Amino acid sequence: MTRAAPHIPAGRSRRVRGRPLLYTSYTQDMALLDTPAKKTGTAVLVLLAFALAVLLQDRSLEVLAGAYALAIGAIGLNLVTGYAGQVSLGHAFFVAIGAYTAAALSGPPGGDTLGYGLAELWIWLPAAGLAAAAAGVLVAPLATRLRGLYLAVVTLGLVFLGEHVFKEWDELTGGPGVGREAAVPQLLGVRLDQDGPLGTKEQLLYTLMLTLLIVFAVAARNLARSRVGRAFAAIRDRDIAAAVIGVPLTRYKVLAFGISSFYAGCAGGLLYTISGYVEPGSFNLLLSVQFIAMVLIGGVATVSGSIAGALFISLLQPVTRSLPALVPFISADTTKTPNVFQVETVLYGLLIVLFLIFEPRGLYGLWIRVRNYWKAWPFSY
Amino acid sequence: MTTGTMSRTTATIVTRVRERARSAPRAVALRHKDFGIWQEVTWGAYWTQVELVAHALLALGVEPGDRVAVHSENRPEWLYADLGTVAARGITVGLYPTNPPAEVAYLLADSGAKLLVAEDQEQVDKALSVLGDCPDLRRIVYLEPRGIRGRYDDDVLMSWPELLALGAAHRAEHPGAVERRMAEAEPDDVMTLIYTSGTTGPPKGVMLTVANVEFAVRTLVEGGGFTAPPPSERDLALSYLPLCHVAERAFTVWFNAAAGVQVNFAESIDTVPANLREVQPTILFGVPRIWEKVLAQVDIRVESASPVKRALTRLWLRVADRIGDTLVRTGGRHTLGTRAAYAMGWVLCYRALRERIGMRRVRYAASGAAPIAPDVLKFYMGIGVPMHEVYGMSENTAVATANRPGRVRLGTVGEPHPGIELKIDDATGEILTRHPGNFAGYWRNPRATADVLDEDGWLHTGDVGEWVEGTHVRITDRMKDIIITAGGKNIAPSEIENALKASPYVKEAVVVGDQRPYLVALIGIEPDTVGEWARRRGLPYTTYRDLSEKPQVRELVQEIVNGVNERFASVEQVKRFAFLPKELDHEDGELTATQKVKRSAVAKLFEDLVEGMYAR
Repeated sequence: MTRAAPHIPAGRSRRVRGRPLLYTSYTQDMALLDTPAKKTGTAVLVLLAFALAVLLQDRSLEVLAGAYALAIGAIGLNLVTGYAGQVSLGHAFFVAIGAYTAAALSGPPGGDTLGYGLAELWIWLPAAGLAAAAAGVLVAPLATRLRGLYLAVVTLGLVFLGEHVFKEWDELTGGPGVGREAAVPQLLGVRLDQDGPLGTKEQLLYTLMLTLLIVFAVAARNLARSRVGRAFAAIRDRDIAAAVIGVPLTRYKVLAFGISSFYAGCAGGLLYTISGYVEPGSFNLLLSVQFIAMVLIGGVATVSGSIAGALFISLLQPVTRSLPALVPFISADTTKTPNVFQVETVLYGLLIVLFLIFEPRGLYGLWIRVRNYWKAWPFSY
Repeated sequence: MTTGTMSRTTATIVTRVRERARSAPRAVALRHKDFGIWQEVTWGAYWTQVELVAHALLALGVEPGDRVAVHSENRPEWLYADLGTVAARGITVGLYPTNPPAEVAYLLADSGAKLLVAEDQEQVDKALSVLGDCPDLRRIVYLEPRGIRGRYDDDVLMSWPELLALGAAHRAEHPGAVERRMAEAEPDDVMTLIYTSGTTGPPKGVMLTVANVEFAVRTLVEGGGFTAPPPSERDLALSYLPLCHVAERAFTVWFNAAAGVQVNFAESIDTVPANLREVQPTILFGVPRIWEKVLAQVDIRVESASPVKRALTRLWLRVADRIGDTLVRTGGRHTLGTRAAYAMGWVLCYRALRERIGMRRVRYAASGAAPIAPDVLKFYMGIGVPMHEVYGMSENTAVATANRPGRVRLGTVGEPHPGIELKIDDATGEILTRHPGNFAGYWRNPRATADVLDEDGWLHTGDVGEWVEGTHVRITDRMKDIIITAGGKNIAPSEIENALKASPYVKEAVVVGDQRPYLVALIGIEPDTVGEWARRRGLPYTTYRDLSEKPQVRELVQEIVNGVNERFASVEQVKRFAFLPKELDHEDGELTATQKVKRSAVAKLFEDLVEGMYAR
C-alpha cells in the first residue's frame, strides 16, 4: 500500500499578538527586527540620527559625518576579519584606491592632477568601490594560501607598497605634502559640499553619510545572515572543517576580500569629501590600525559594533584635543612631550589592550551584557 | 432516546469542529512545533484531516461501537484520530505514552481495540510485542516513520499518510459517507473510554457517551463553569498533559472544539517551561506536580541570581506572599492596598517573573486531578496568576466543583457547578454527584459499575469531603486512603503529604501508619533542587541515593518535617521518616500513569524501610 497522502493546504502564518517568541514561520524567525521592541528601538534611533542634522552644530556634524564614513570602512573590515576570519592589515590600501578613484573620476579635467569631470555621486561611488574590490580580489588568492599571522604580514606589505606608489604617482595624487582635491559630491546636479537652499554643507554631507551608512549596514547585516554569511562564519571557525562540509574556500575568501574592499573603497571615496582634500601620506599603517581598533573596540563580527567602534574612535579625537585645557601638563604643541597626539596614540593601544583582556566582544559585548541583565530579570540566567 | 427525523443531528465534538471549519476555515485551531517553528493548523485543515481519518476508518471496516486506541504524546494527530473515530461513531481509547508493554497489552485486550494509532517506533514495538494477547487488533497506524519504514514489514503496520490516502480514496468513492455516519449518531453512543489510573487494581474503562460530553461542554466551556468570561477564539492553551486523562481532554479537545480556544502542543513534557514562555497561554491547566515544579524552579533561580536581583526578588516575593494572604481572605478579589502593592511589584518584578515562567498572559489557571498544598496556590495568586482549584473525575466527565473567579476559597475545591446535584453522605462523608455527566458505566465491568453508581443515579466518588461555609467543598482524602491508627484515630494522609510536598526539596511523600502506633513517612527528595542546594554548599554527591543519604540532607528534610508537624495535632505528626532509595517510576509500577503514588505498592516495596522506622 503505497499511496501518496492527499495535499492539505496550510494556512497563512501570522504573528500572534503579544507573543514575541512564538514564531509561526521561518520568515518571522529570521527577521532582522523580530520583536516590536527592536522595531521601535531602531526606528527611534534612525529618526534621532536624522534629527541630529538640525539639532547639532556644524562642527559636530562634520565629526559625525566623518565617523559614519569611517563606519562604512569598519563594517567592510569586519566582514573580512570579523565574519570571515581573514586578518587584514591592508585596509588603508583599499581605502586609498577608493579615495583616488573617486577623486580622479570627479575631479575637473585639465587640472594639475588627473580628472574626468564625472562629479555625480552615483557614478564615482560605485566606481571607487569596484576599483577597490578589484584590488581585493587580486589580493585574495594570497589568503587561500596563507593563514593568521602570515596573512597579516602580507596584507601589511600592501600598505607599504601602496604608500610608495601613491607618494610617487604625482599625476594622480599630487605628491606627498601637496595632495589633491578630493571627490566632488554632487547628487542630481546639487553640490553637497557647498551651502545651499537645502541646508549647510555639513548638514547635507551628514545626511548623505548617514543614509549611505544605513544602506551599507543593512546590506552587510543581510549578507551576514545569508548563505554567504554562514559560509564566512564556517571558514572563520575552522577552514578545514568548512571545506569538508562543502564550502568552497577559494570562492568565499575571494568574495570576502572583494566585498570588504568594496566597502573600504566607498568609505575612501566618501571620507575625504568632508575636508575636500586628500594627502597620499594619510594612507599609512596608522589608518589600518585605526580600523582594526574600531572593529576590536566595537565588536568583532557585528555590524552595530563596527558603527559603535567607528563613532567611539572618531569622538575620541575631539575629546583628546580638548585635554590641554583640562590637564595642564599635556600640550597641544607637537614639539612638546607629552602632547595630545602622543596621548591619542597611547590611548588607541591602551584601549585595544583593555578591550581584548576585559571585553573581547567590544562595545557590542558591553551592550549585550547590559541587555541580558535586564532580559533575565528577575533571575540571572 | 432517538433523534427521530434525519434533519436533527446530534451535536458532538465533531459537528462543532465542522461548524468552525465552515464559519472560519482560515482561523487557527491548533499549533505544533516542528523544527523550531510553530506550524499552524487552520479549522479548515483540521476538519479535512478529521474527515479523511473518518473515511479511512470506514474503509477499514470500523463499525459503530468499535474501539480505536491512540498511543501517543499530545500532537494534532491525536485529535484527528480521536475526532475521526467519533465521526465514524467509534470509541476512542487513550493510552498513556509511558504505559509499559504489560499495561498496553491489558488496555488493548480489555478494550478490544480494532485499530491502534501508535506514535513512533517505541510504541509500535510495545504493541507488536503483545500482539498475541490482543486478538481484536487488526491495524497499527504509526505516525513517525523513523526506525519503522523500510525495517518492519509486518502486515498490520500502516503509515499515517497511507491512512489518509486510504481515506481520500474512500471519500472519492463514497462521498458523504462520513456525513451520513455522523448524522446517525445518538446521544447514548459511547464516544470514549477513559481508563482510570488504577491506584489499587487494574485500570477500569470509564464509558463516556456523547450526551455526557455534551453536558460537560455546556457546563464547563459554554456555561463558563471554569473561566469568567467563558473561553473564546482569542484564548490560547498549551496542551502537555496526557490526553487520555479526562482533564487534559477537556482543556484541549473540548475547549478547542466548543469555544475555539487555540491549542498549542508542547514538544514534550521536558520542554514545557520553554514552550510556556513562547506560547504565553491565557488558559492554563496543571496538575499539582507541575505547579510545585515551577515554584521550585523559581526558588532555585532566585537563589542563584546575582545579589541585587536576589534581594529585590525576595523582597517582592514577600510582598506577593502578603498579597496572596489578602486574596485568600477576600476570595481572589483585590483590595485597594493589594492593588497598589501589586501595581508597584508588577513594574519591578511580577511582570518579568510571570513572563519568564510563561504565565504573563494567563487569565485563568487551574489545578486539579490531585490534591495540592494551599501554599503553592497562594504563591501563584500572590504574583497575579488567577489560580483556581477544581475538582472532577472521569466518572462524572470532570463535572463536580470549581472555585469560581472572585469566590476562591483556598483549601477547598470550590462550589458545585450550577445545574448539578452534589451531596455529602451523612454517614460516610463521601461526596456524591448526580447530573447528566454521570458516566454510562465501566467498560465490560457491570459489577464495578454497580459499586459506584447506585439505583438513584448517584455517583459515589470515593472522596471524603465536607462543606465549608455551606457553599464550598473541602476534600479530606480518598476514602480508601484514610489511615486509622492503632489508637483509633482517623487521619487523612494526603493533607500531611501535600504540606510536605509544598517544600521545593520534597518530591514525593508517602505517609504510612494504618494500624500503627504513630505515623511515619517515606520521603523522596527533588533531585534538582536538593542537588542545587548541595552544590551551593560545596557538598559533593554522585547519585540520587548518595545525595539522599547525606546527613546534611537528612537535617534539611528533618527541618521541613518539623515545620509541617507544628501545624498538625500530635497524632497527625510524622514521628520518623526514611528516604526512598530511588526515584519512583511508572515503569517500575510505583506510580500510575498520571504520576500518582501507588500507595500499597510503595508500602509493600519498601516494607523493610517502614518496618525499620517502627522497630527502633
